[in-house]
Amino acid sequence: MLIQDIMQRDLVTVNVDVRLADAYKIMQDNGIRHLPVMSGGELVGIVTDRDLRLATSALTSTPFPPDCDVEGVMNQPVQTADPLDPVETAARTMRESKFGCLPVLDNGKLAGIVTGIDLLDALIRLTGVDKPSGRLDIRLQDHPGELARLTHFISERHVNIHSILTYREGGEDLRAVLRIGSMETRPLAQALSEHGFKILWPPAKPWSN
Amino acid sequence: MVELIYRPEYASYDFGRDHPFSPIRLEMVLDLLHDLGVHVEPTACPKAEREDILSVHSPEYVACVEALGRGESVEDAERYGLGTPDNPIFPGMADAAAWLVGGTLGAARRAAEGEPRNVLHLGGGLHHAQWSNASGFCLFNDLAVAIRALTESGLYVSYLDIDVHHGDGVQALFYEDDHVQTISFHESGQYLFPGTGGIHELGQGMGRGLKINVPLEPFTEEESYLDAFDRVVPRALGHFKPGLLVVQAGADAHYEDPLADLMLTTRTYEALYRRIIKLAREHAGGRILWTLGGGYSLLASPRVWTLLVLTLMEQPLPESLPAVWVERWSERLRKSLPGTLHDANPAFDPIPRREEISRRNKTVVRRLLDSLSRYWL
Repeated sequence: MLIQDIMQRDLVTVNVDVRLADAYKIMQDNGIRHLPVMSGGELVGIVTDRDLRLATSALTSTPFPPDCDVEGVMNQPVQTADPLDPVETAARTMRESKFGCLPVLDNGKLAGIVTGIDLLDALIRLTGVDKPSGRLDIRLQDHPGELARLTHFISERHVNIHSILTYREGGEDLRAVLRIGSMETRPLAQALSEHGFKILWPPAKPWSN
Repeated sequence: MVELIYRPEYASYDFGRDHPFSPIRLEMVLDLLHDLGVHVEPTACPKAEREDILSVHSPEYVACVEALGRGESVEDAERYGLGTPDNPIFPGMADAAAWLVGGTLGAARRAAEGEPRNVLHLGGGLHHAQWSNASGFCLFNDLAVAIRALTESGLYVSYLDIDVHHGDGVQALFYEDDHVQTISFHESGQYLFPGTGGIHELGQGMGRGLKINVPLEPFTEEESYLDAFDRVVPRALGHFKPGLLVVQAGADAHYEDPLADLMLTTRTYEALYRRIIKLAREHAGGRILWTLGGGYSLLASPRVWTLLVLTLMEQPLPESLPAVWVERWSERLRKSLPGTLHDANPAFDPIPRREEISRRNKTVVRRLLDSLSRYWL
């Protein structure tokens, strides 16, 4: 999944000479927290609602007056992303730098913006249910061919796999969560278990026959 | 009293010998009623017309089911959810499904007219079928066809789904409809097919606040289930005040069910049926259309549904089952069938995480009610 798949393309921007009070109103009116700041069609900075509130707060020793330009308050230089960056790279940059957003530059021109909320949407898309499906949760050994053995087993039963999510649990094992297009995950899990797979969900029911 | 709807053609809805959605389940119920000496005279309803089915399904999908049913091959039938292990192709499948739709539709018309009463369709309940595809053993959505006909006649309809799986097909087909309230109790989609049915699915547009989902933790038992039911259903029905209640009475939340993980017993089902009858009297003019649904344990489902029939007929519940029936079916299924209508008490060993499960269910219900409160002013 790439940045261009999740970025917001409808942008609200301000010019460097916009007043702090006006920039704040623009954010309020549009329900946004981040404003790219432009000068001569180029991205020159970014300003957040938090920047504005902190800069103008009566609690600071020398608050900025509301009719100051955003230029004095904006963050620069700006960390940016490329439309072809994978989303995980953007997530890592934002996490490590503690940024709430990344403007996206395509060939030097501002093309979009990615915020933490867009990354949450990406997570929902990666883990979500978009087709009727049941869940299989399996612990795999970290050997070549283990995942292939699993998917081959499922494909031989002609069951469609809608999604696979894998992650390391801390030890040597790999956790695989599959969404498969079938009501009959229990019989499938039982068959997998009989073939040596460690099934975490659905568990066997001792009382059923 | 109750009117029963049934006809022998229902047995043709058969995906094959090893498929869980087996017509044997209904055969066992009818056989048991007979051996119990309960006289039933079910009404036979006509097969649904093509136009009826087209009220909730796309023409391409219906044409595909028909062609496959005639034995023609259809390129990419799997696009429509057909020819999969869940929904295998079989000869006459479109007709078989249309008989079931006709039964639920006929039952709906009978429940809506005349004196208030219960009408029980001994079939149907195919709640997973979607606008343009089959899903989860369901070809045509009989419930949605019936609900559509009822709302077109001007009725407001509440749909209550106690099948262990989310009633996703019915919910999706009426997601923006302000004449239809859907309430589904199911094992959480985080664990069970079809994966949907979260508390945030509340409907859209005019239907906002009218689609209600109660996803329950795996291994939820009677007390926690009924607690959730009592917190949600009376308020939901009291708010909407439908002209008629449609109940999908799947029996697969029973602890014996081979495809799911809830822990209801026959006693829970009896308690549920009595609650639903009472609530319909208070909030739905006493009109209920019941259908069957999922329920894949041959040891449990026939007893659960027989209990439903007897409860609706206001007949006393026998303690033990006729020995001839138990022997005949034990032999035929090569399984030892229980000799009593109700499950043993207690039916199973204590569930280790019981308190945590109940606590999580309570939290989910509270969050659901918090989001619904703004629509229930």
